[in-house]
Order: sequence, then structure tokens, then C-alpha cells
Amino acid sequence: MPERTASSDRTASERAYVVRRVGQALLVIALVYTIVFFTLFVLPGDPVENKLTSPQNPLPPSAAEALLRYYQLDLSPFAQFAVGLGRLVRGDLGFSLVSGKPVVDLLAQGLSDTVVLAALAFVLTVGLSLAIALTAVFAPWGSLRSLAASVPVLSISAPSFLVGFLLLTVFSFQLGWVSSIRDQGLASYVLPAVTLAIAVNGPLSQVLVQGLTKARREPFVDVLRAKGVGERRIALGHVLRNGAVPAVTMLGLIVGELFAGAVVVETVFSRTGLGFVTFESVRDQDTPVILAVVLLVSTLYVLVNLVTDLLYPRLDPRIVRRTATGRRRTPKAAVA
Amino acid sequence: MNRRHLAAAVTALALALSGCATAATGSGAPQDGGTLTYLDAEIPTSAQVQESGTWQTRALQQNVTDRLVYRNAETGELEPWVAESWEVAPDGLTYTFVIRDGVTYSDGSALDATSVARNLEWQSAGDAEKGTTPNAQFPSGLTARADDATRTVVVTLTSPYAPFLNVLTSWSAGLVADATIDAPKEEQQRFVHLIGSGPFVVESEEYGKEIVLVRREGYAWAPPSSPNQGEAHLAKVVVIPVLEDSVRLGTLRAGEGDVIRYVQPSEEKGLVDAGFHVVAGTGVGLSNQWFLRSSAPFLDDVRVRHALQRLIDRDTIVDTLYTDSWSPATSVLAPGTFGYQDVSDEFAFEPDAAAALLDEAGFTQRDADGYRTKGGQRLTVKTYIDVYDNTAKSLFQAIQQQLKEAGIDLQLNELDYSTYWATAFKDPEVGFLRVGWPHPDPSRGLQQYYSKDGQDLLGLQGSDARLQELLDAQTAAVDDATRQDLLAQTQQHLVEQGYVVPVLDDSQVFVTAERVEGFRLTDGALPEFSTTSLTQ
Repeated sequence: MPERTASSDRTASERAYVVRRVGQALLVIALVYTIVFFTLFVLPGDPVENKLTSPQNPLPPSAAEALLRYYQLDLSPFAQFAVGLGRLVRGDLGFSLVSGKPVVDLLAQGLSDTVVLAALAFVLTVGLSLAIALTAVFAPWGSLRSLAASVPVLSISAPSFLVGFLLLTVFSFQLGWVSSIRDQGLASYVLPAVTLAIAVNGPLSQVLVQGLTKARREPFVDVLRAKGVGERRIALGHVLRNGAVPAVTMLGLIVGELFAGAVVVETVFSRTGLGFVTFESVRDQDTPVILAVVLLVSTLYVLVNLVTDLLYPRLDPRIVRRTATGRRRTPKAAVA
Repeated sequence: MNRRHLAAAVTALALALSGCATAATGSGAPQDGGTLTYLDAEIPTSAQVQESGTWQTRALQQNVTDRLVYRNAETGELEPWVAESWEVAPDGLTYTFVIRDGVTYSDGSALDATSVARNLEWQSAGDAEKGTTPNAQFPSGLTARADDATRTVVVTLTSPYAPFLNVLTSWSAGLVADATIDAPKEEQQRFVHLIGSGPFVVESEEYGKEIVLVRREGYAWAPPSSPNQGEAHLAKVVVIPVLEDSVRLGTLRAGEGDVIRYVQPSEEKGLVDAGFHVVAGTGVGLSNQWFLRSSAPFLDDVRVRHALQRLIDRDTIVDTLYTDSWSPATSVLAPGTFGYQDVSDEFAFEPDAAAALLDEAGFTQRDADGYRTKGGQRLTVKTYIDVYDNTAKSLFQAIQQQLKEAGIDLQLNELDYSTYWATAFKDPEVGFLRVGWPHPDPSRGLQQYYSKDGQDLLGLQGSDARLQELLDAQTAAVDDATRQDLLAQTQQHLVEQGYVVPVLDDSQVFVTAERVEGFRLTDGALPEFSTTSLTQ
């Protein structure tokens, strides 16, 4: 019986924690949406205003009024905010001011493409980081170890558009293995995913190198060695498990980085994912699309952080959550 | 009938000089079939007819729709197209068009007199309910009466509108089926819903990725002067936007693309050496020019404005930054445009004369940096770098350097694409900005820039009565000779008063692979796919 009480206590406090974190997450999303909405009002220029002020196609005032009325841009900022919120509640994200396409379609198009790209890049990033870190810590030659240790710094400082263009030059223009412009299914994702992995793996690799280096010096390694466990098993079975814990927390951040990195990578590879949708909408100040992208990306980001935080204690039983005071890891929403 | 022949003779020579080039054509009949991969530098966004604004959108509209009147890019002459003939009443209030027989839209509906009348009224009035604005080039209050039995459309205007026939040749005057006009605005903006009668039909559209055009079966109503009177030679055109210059170029060089729009001038020579063709053209309309605002600091003095006009060494700029595809501006209008007159003598590069003008204006002192001053104030002119032209930055910097040598401090500022109009045009400190793009009619173009009823870019609010009078009078000048005379005087006046600094005759530059034949540009420097073919 006492055991049952203890466990139900823990469940209750856990539930309170989850509810609080979900509440915080919703608040962050709402704040980001509101701030971006009003920031866009302060910034000069939008597609409709540009249409009206362009000396190429000047419109008589009567036509301009009709156009503003059509887009409800004649309302006050607060009234427009209310209209936008009302639609949002009904799941209506509106239409792009530039292309006239439903924002939902644009997001669906962008997300379906970028999710595959980001997932592939995520796998590559993890693989790349593991390879780099294991080499940097366990390689038998000192020169190879220091070479591997310098890779993260190199990849952080290599601009994506350059890496992407180099890959295109070699594999598309020279070897002709994959098209630079046409969608050839999964094959077309490889080069952009590699570019993206190179762009975002740096911090993860570094944390992993540090974690492994530290874990390797822990006393338990000596104990294992004394027990006669082989070096390979020590490295892959024990040091890696212990040293990788800080890196796991970083995975949440990596997801954000992947979406941000997609903006550049998708332009270089002429892909039309979420990065492209973001780039185009910001360039044209296409308010409905920008707002929807912000909503989507901040939700994703907050969600990933929430999941990471909730999973964290389960991955490493030594970590105990202090439910009362709480680690206030308020996630920063990425506004693309 | 139209009395545009005199004008045509004058413009023919100019156009021949301005280089409406065609890709080298091989011998024998063009090969039938094949897919042309066309790589654009930008993303076509909205197919809505009245809003036609960007190069990449116009290129598609041009090939998917037909127009009532055709302007021959080589001769500058107006020729029949969907209208097989037309008559203009002497008072300029009534236009009677006879519509070509047997023309149909790609959805099977007839392009008859009724459809033409509906298109014209729709262009003139817009559709307020759908948020569709009127076409800014069309006369307002237009009424059109159709008689399908005699295939005639009688258009009645409330006041004479001389630019009308020119406007009907425009990329934004494409005729569309009822299905397009009846569709909600958001659908009209999609290319698959642009139902025209042109030599190509939009088969599919993936936003930002590709737009596939297929040839219209049974197309038989090309302008009579076109070398291809039947269906297009190409079976398909795949339009793919590739935003990165280097990737677009690499794809062409690797043989995966057939035509690209826009290359950096510095790349042209290498491409020609490698067997590619450069096809460039200047569209009819206004030249690349700066409008000088006399309300800005120091520019109220006409001597300073005159000095600015004379301090730009255009030849050096074209030689060092550009190629043979570009040329120095010779007027406010581009060569080949109706009514164009070479007024380049008024703004030739004359640094000594400019220095004398600045001395006369009182800017005789020099500060520590070598800039001219008057009463302790440095002669500074502020501008923003044009965001619409990929070569603008180097162009502006070169001019900044040239002005610096004369002691004028040109302040360059940069804005991004979305904030440019709203910020740059509202900034009272701004001395000048770049304007000047192709326009179907020069009078309408000049009015939209410089009339008090247009954008009034000079900020004169009609205070220059002569300019206003010249601009206003063109609308009613249905007699071509009269309008040409007015246009000549307007060009002269804008330059003489130091209102405008013509800079370059802009070009649209395309590069085609060796296997592409017959690729040519329209009067508006847009690609024409119906005459294009592939040799392999």
C-alpha cells in the first residue's frame, strides 16, 4: 500500500509538471505570434502597399480603396489582429498576399518536403557527430585525433551555400549523378541533407567530444578495465552511454537548427520546402504566410523542447527533477 | 485604319540598332517536338491578368494568352492578331475591331466578339467584389458592344485615349476565357487557371518548383508576321525557377537546362566562347533613369541637377561593367519606342561644364575629403540602391565614384526587397531613385511617372505647367504625328529642366544552349516559345 501512494504522488506531481510546461509552451507560442503580428505592422511595406505605390502600375484612389477593403487592410491593427485570431481559431490561415494560394497549402507543401530533408539530415548529423567524436577520442593515432577534433570548428565556419554549391558542382554538374534542378525523389534529398548535416553537426560534435573525453577519465573506466573488459566494449558500451547524455539534450536544439538551416540549403538546391516558403514570405513581407510559418516553427520548436525535457530524466535515472522549484528551461522560440 | 506606318518607319531603324536579337537559326525546317527546360531567375507568383508586374510572370502570360493587336518587335509596327482589323473614329471615341474567325480558348470556349468585349470591360473596370483592380493602362469607363454575327466589337470611350492600341499589345492585355474571369481572385492567380488562346497551355504548376507548358493543339492564329503560323514546334516547356545565379549557370553548362534568364554581364563572354548564345533585348518603354526631386537638399538648384546629368560617364560604365547587350541611355524613352527621340546631347558626359555649373551654384569650397561645400554644407545627394536590378549595386557604386571625382558625395543606402518602395519613396531626403522599365505605351508611362495625376515622382504637383500640359495633351492626341511631336517635346523638356537623368537602356539577357533554335524576344523583351525549336 505505501508503495502505491508514493507512485501516485509521483504521477500527480509529474502531471502537474506536464500541465505547467504545456501551459508555458502555449504562452510562448501566443506571445511570439502577437509580437510578430505587430512587428509586421511597424515595418514598412507589404505586397499590397507595394502594389499601390509602384510607379509601374499606379492605381486610382478608388481602386486602391477597393483593394485595401478586399484584404481588410483598411481596419485598425487591433481589428485586423482580432480578425486574424478569429480565423485562426477556426483553423483558417488565410491566403498569401503574393500568390493567392491558401496558406495551409503552402505550409503543407513546405512541411512535407522539409520534414523528409530534416529527418535525413538529423540522422546524418547524429552519425557524423558520432563518427567525429569517436575518432577524436578513441583513434589510436594522435594526429588523427586532433584532426577529427578540429572538424566541428571547420564545419561551423563553412557557409552552407558554399558547401552546397561545391557538392552540386561535383555530383550534379561534373558527375551527373543527381539533377541540380529536378526532383528525383529520395536521391534529391541526399546532397541537401549532407549540406545541412555539415552545417549543424558542429556544436553536437563538440559536446560529444567533450562528454566522451570526460567520461573516459571517470573511475568506472578503470574498474571496467580491471575487470578485463575490452577497450572496444568500454568505448562503445560504457563511455559512449555516459558521455552522450549532454549531447542528447542538444538534439532538441538541433531540430531548430535544421529548420533554420533549410532556408539557405533549399535556395541553393532549388527545393521548395519550408525554408523556401519562409524565405519568400519574408522577402515579400507576405504577412499571412509569415505568421503561419512563425506559428508552425515556434510550435515545433516548443514541442521538441518539451519532449526532450520530459524524456530527459527517463534517459538517465541519475537525473531527478525537482518538481517544486523546477529547472526553468524556458525554450526560446525560433523566429525564422 | 491605323496610321502608325510613319512611326513604324522611324522606329524600325532604331529597333534594328537596339538589338532585338534572335538566337542563331539553322537551315531547314525547325524540328518538331521535344521539351525545352527554361530556367528563370525568379519565381512566377501570380497569374492574375491585370496585376501582371514581374518579368517571370509576363513571360508566361505572353505565351499562354493572345492579344487583340500585335506589335512587331523588329519593325515596331502594330499588326493584326486576334483583331484582324480595326478602325478608329476621327474623334478617338469609338474603336471598331473585327475579330478573327475560329479562335478558341484552351478550354474549348470561343474567343469571339462577346468574349473580347467582356475582356475589355473587365480590364477597364476590374472587379471590385473580387478585389481585382482595373488594369492601370486601360482607359476607365470603357464600354464594349459585341456583334457575333459580324464578328465586330465596338468600343466606346468617354474621352479620347491615344495610348489605347498600344495598350492592347501589352503583356497585361492577354485575352482570357470566361472561366478565368468568373473564378475567384485566388484562383485567377494560379497559372493553371489562366485559360488563354495562346500557343501554349499551362499543364501543371508546383509553386516555386516548376510550371509545365504544353503546346496548344490546333493553334493556327499566330500574328501573320510570325515565322510559325501553326502549332508550336516544342511539345513542352518546363519553367523552373533557379534563384541562385551560380546554380542556374552551372545547370545550363552541365546541359540540364536549355535557356536561362539573366546572367551576370561578366559571364557572357565565357558562355559565348563555350558555344552558348546570348539573346538580349531592350523592351519598348522607358529607359533606366533617375528622377531628381527638387524638394531634396541642393536639388532645388537646376544647375546642380544639370551637373548631375553631365557627370555620369555612361560609355565607361557600359564598357567596364556591362557588355554589348547593354547601351547608354539616349533619352527618357528606350530606342524603338513610339515617339522616341535621341536627346543625348543634352546630358553628354561633360565634367568641365558640370564643374562650372557647380561653381556657379556656389559650391566652390572643398572640405577635407575633397567634396564641394557651400556655406559649410557638403554637397551630398542621398539615394537607395535599386532592388529590382541584379546589376544595380555595381552600377550605383561606379556612379558614386564618378561623382566623387567631381566633388559630389553620393550617399548609397540599401533596403531589402519588401521595404524598398514604402521606405525609399517616402524619404524626403532622397535626391533621386531609379525608375524606368518597359511599358506598352510611352505617353501612359510618362504620365504615370511624372504627371500630377500619376505618381508625381518629381513632386511638382503640377507647378511646371508646361510639363503638365505636354503630358495631358498626349492622351487626346489620337493623331500619331501630333502625339510624336508631343512626346519629343516631353523628352526634351524632362531632360532640359534637369528633372531626369537617363542612365542605361536596360536589357533582358537570356542564354540559350547550342541546340536551341529560333528563340526570340517580343517587343517587351519577353521570351517567345512558339518560334523556338530544339535540334536534338
